[in-house]
Amino acid sequence: MTTQAVRPGSTATAPDEAEVRAALDASWGRPVGLLGWISTVDHKDVARRYLVTAFVFFILGGLDAALMRIQLARPENRFLTPDQYNQLFTVHGTTMMFLFAVPVMTAMGLYFVPLMIGARNVSFPRLNNYGYWVYLIGGVLLYVSLFVNSAPDTGWFSYVPLAGPGYTPGKRADIYAQTVTFTEISALITAVEIIVTVFKHRAPGMTLNRIPLFVWAMLVTSFMILFAMPWVATASLFLAADRLIATHFFNPAEGGDPMLWQHLFWFFGHPEVYIIFIPALGMISSILATFTRREVFGYPVMVLSLVATGFLGFGLWVHHMFATGIPQLGQSYFTAASAMIAIPSGVQIFCWIATLWVGRPRWTVPMLYATAFVVLFLIGGLSGVMVASVPFDLQVHDTYFVVAHLHYVLLGGAVFPLFGAFYYWFPKITGRMLDERLGRWQFGLFFAGVNLTFFPMHYLGLHGMPRRVYTYLLESGWGDLNLLATAGAVTIAASVLLFILNVVRALRAGPLAGNDPWGGETLEWLAESPPRPYNFAFQPVVQGRAALWSRTPDAPVVVGLRTDMREVLVTTVMDAAPDNRHRHPDPDRMPFVAALATGVLFISLVFTPWGLPVGALLLAVPMILWGWPNEEDNEKQRRQERETVT
Amino acid sequence: MIEWSGLHSALDPFGPQAARVHGLWRFLWIVSLAVYVLVIAALAWAALRRRTPAEADPTPRPAAEVAGPALRTTIVGATVATVLILFVFLVVDLATGRPLTAAPRGGRGALEIEVTGHQWWWQVEYPSSRPDLRVVTANEIHVPTGRPVVVTLTSTDVIHSFWPPSLVGKRDMIPGEKTSVWFQADTPGVYRGQCAEFCGYQHAKMAFQIVAEPAEQFERWMARQRDSARTPADSLALRGQEVFLATSCVMCHTVRGTPAGSRIGPDLTHLASRRTIAAGSLPNTRGALAGWIVDPQSIKPGTRMPSNQIEPDDLQALLAYLESLK
Amino acid sequence: MSGIQPSLQRSTIDVAGLPTTVFGPRDIMWWGTLGFLVIEGTTLFICVAAYFFLWRNEATWPPEHTLRPSLFWPTVHVLFLAASNLLARQLSKAAHALDEHRTRRWLLVLAAVAAVSLALRWQDFLALNARWDTNAYGSIVWLTVGLHATLIAAELGELCLMYALLASERREERHLADASDVAFYWYGLTLFWVPLYVMIYLGPRLLR
Repeated sequence: MTTQAVRPGSTATAPDEAEVRAALDASWGRPVGLLGWISTVDHKDVARRYLVTAFVFFILGGLDAALMRIQLARPENRFLTPDQYNQLFTVHGTTMMFLFAVPVMTAMGLYFVPLMIGARNVSFPRLNNYGYWVYLIGGVLLYVSLFVNSAPDTGWFSYVPLAGPGYTPGKRADIYAQTVTFTEISALITAVEIIVTVFKHRAPGMTLNRIPLFVWAMLVTSFMILFAMPWVATASLFLAADRLIATHFFNPAEGGDPMLWQHLFWFFGHPEVYIIFIPALGMISSILATFTRREVFGYPVMVLSLVATGFLGFGLWVHHMFATGIPQLGQSYFTAASAMIAIPSGVQIFCWIATLWVGRPRWTVPMLYATAFVVLFLIGGLSGVMVASVPFDLQVHDTYFVVAHLHYVLLGGAVFPLFGAFYYWFPKITGRMLDERLGRWQFGLFFAGVNLTFFPMHYLGLHGMPRRVYTYLLESGWGDLNLLATAGAVTIAASVLLFILNVVRALRAGPLAGNDPWGGETLEWLAESPPRPYNFAFQPVVQGRAALWSRTPDAPVVVGLRTDMREVLVTTVMDAAPDNRHRHPDPDRMPFVAALATGVLFISLVFTPWGLPVGALLLAVPMILWGWPNEEDNEKQRRQERETVT
Repeated sequence: MIEWSGLHSALDPFGPQAARVHGLWRFLWIVSLAVYVLVIAALAWAALRRRTPAEADPTPRPAAEVAGPALRTTIVGATVATVLILFVFLVVDLATGRPLTAAPRGGRGALEIEVTGHQWWWQVEYPSSRPDLRVVTANEIHVPTGRPVVVTLTSTDVIHSFWPPSLVGKRDMIPGEKTSVWFQADTPGVYRGQCAEFCGYQHAKMAFQIVAEPAEQFERWMARQRDSARTPADSLALRGQEVFLATSCVMCHTVRGTPAGSRIGPDLTHLASRRTIAAGSLPNTRGALAGWIVDPQSIKPGTRMPSNQIEPDDLQALLAYLESLK
Repeated sequence: MSGIQPSLQRSTIDVAGLPTTVFGPRDIMWWGTLGFLVIEGTTLFICVAAYFFLWRNEATWPPEHTLRPSLFWPTVHVLFLAASNLLARQLSKAAHALDEHRTRRWLLVLAAVAAVSLALRWQDFLALNARWDTNAYGSIVWLTVGLHATLIAAELGELCLMYALLASERREERHLADASDVAFYWYGLTLFWVPLYVMIYLGPRLLR
């Protein structure tokens, strides 16, 4: 196959910029109305949907927690029955981990990765849309089950035999298994999207060592998703099979093993928390660079740290199982690995501090959140090194000490950077600025609330309070700290309300942002706010690592992509050299229909194994229609092919 | 009120195992505090310090260009320090962990106990090669002070976890497997433990007590526990025994010396000798026992014991009988 | 590499001359296929891990009172699948040569192969000599064979669809690149089965 040379000049008359934009607006536009809305192929539409939906689940998960905290505020409280409490803590964990934390992070990637690399869209636009609807169906399934008092109630980790056919009758655990399936499919799709987009759609000039740190973070995360999610998917498949068709994967009486579940689940479960955490690291780099006016210190080391964290994250899972009687040698290895992973995270923090050191900081709300990240995550990281020690862990495992640890790393390490990123990127997504003053108040309440809620839990755990208890005795002495934690939860709720208020006000009447309100480092600030469906009329050629800061006035742009249809540039993996042109599909209803069929398939599997063949045949129909081109497709494709010069 | 003297806190150790972990905890939090203060101080300094003209320049530049060699060296130094601290942590951890897992010294002198987890109570057995020397009880474990105790753990249903924090860290109880843990209580007292692996509705109220007492007291307790229940002399209690044998109690409970021999629920042969009932949820008093028998579901919703309709007279007799099971 | 667009007042890279139909890693769809292979391969690897994990719980394998799997049809099947890669290679070559007619022919041949493979897969199940609900051994071998079977079934569907598409008016040149991706996927599908066959059917005999 001969490599096609990039031709100077083009055959048609050279169009001017405004004409090109107008033509692209037409060819990349979306039909109006509901039909247009469900058939979108714009990565930004899909990402926005993920963001809004994930935030709704954040609130729902928070409400679950609020109810739990009310129950735990006093000893022997009768606000909730044990059954209600068990459903709530299960749904809280499942929501936060599967329906909020991972989707919101991948959504930020889906929105900003194409923009940051100068691309027009993700690689598979319809698949992207399909992934969102599948995720939504999974979340709806879980909450419908909660409202009919049939939610899963054996924890987000769903240990067997408790969750197996012998000890959880009904459909609760089956609903859990399928919720996992939906969210896992959606996450895998996002992962493939991000990987292929970063590999094949970078703007010319964006060689590997010029890829922004946030994009590296999303790339590492996507690889982790690819290799981690199948483990929980298989585990939930085994669980569903044990419950539905009487297999014996976890049944000790017939050669099965409850420990199989734990290994499968935690082999996913530990990378899962890094899947949530690593995108946040990318966000910190983005925010810090912009608000110190410095490219982050130590780029190669930062990239290596991200990659190292990704790899090491797969080698720690047994530290969740120290109490199960693991042999000594295994214990020592997992302790060492769990401690070692602190090193790349530490290195990143040092590089950020160095960046701040030589930078000119502007203390905007995103910067406050980025700084608070270090303050809070460090507490969680240090308590994490503590629980890496087996003897210590055997005291605090499954107690509120671990609840404190995990919330400090997840809230401090992921949600704080996320809120910083919300404030940072809200202008780009919506075209309006959030209010800084309200943002500071919100930040303050959030910071105070998180510490008030979770710091006392270190103490509670050391003093004997186990996890997942719907109540505790008066004599335990745990009442006062629990009350304090509940007060903290109220504070967090107030801060979230303030955030929503800020967003609503900004959407209505916030100041217009313009393309680049912050003076950003990366290419998303080159596009409009919000960007056009095609992101860039003329893709920029990248000249340096800080793509926007290193951009000279005479920087080249890409011309020659067709304006009468959706066409994207495909570049080479290593050097981002232009390689071929790819026509993207027009808006299409089939991904939505296919998602509905997928919903029927997996929800029917909650009830009967026959759901598999019947559901699969049902799903085949929209899948076929999806792949089958129509007349318009044919016509466009031929037009595109005809004008190729070979 | 349930009384216990040696709490249930990892920070109140009453045995060598828990004491070692307590020492480790001190080391961990002191080092962590030091690291935390250092890093936050560096962060604050970086945020608030006065900048040189080059550093204050708003023109966007790579940090690496503005940073001097001193900054680079500091980062390398901090990284090396991190690695060293973690290494020290590993050494201290290993040094603490070794003696904790090693089989107790004087292995022949260790007392062996088997504890089996059920939803939501603890089956306690003191095994012996001689059947007449075996002891079976529930929810309350007696041990002699100053002597290592090896507990073999398993479960008949779901995963539970045995955890008396004042004495030793937890060990899971996994159906189909046997795990074990050893501890030693040096001071006489009552030490509370709680199930530490979510096991269903009443995970929150699945507690046990370890009563550590001097050796002779312990042997006396063992001797009493070995006895079967005697037929009560008191007529009310005798009537209570009839009530016991005629109602659904016998479906689940054993009282040795009577025909009641089911092992689904806790062994009640010496119920009256225990300090608590319902796996540490209630004090062992007449009122609490009455409430528990008549309506366990309101105390521990979801518990396996059904509510029982008993005539008031029969209930009084039954209570008298149960109180005689010392 | 740049040309001057007079009205654009800036330097440009003109990509209008780049091809639109490409094969292999140059093509986005190839990467999508690779993504599927990675995910499915990981899932099958997990089944392998579970298989060995459950093995360590048993003194004998298969467990007592469970027969070893028979070998005849499964061996026929794995050899058949391995040989079919030659046919897939023909498909790939035809697609690369942009030969619609030959590509269609080899798609049809592979579809027939997939159909036969499904019939042989039925024999693979019977040869297990255990039911999925007998014991954990039965469960893991059935599930592993079953997961791979769904891949073959889905591939049969894709081959038929691809054939129908290339025979219809709606065919486009880029579909030939998709057909070559099908061949690429076929290599992966059969490659996965070889170690699984060894583990399930030969394992109990080899690893005593």
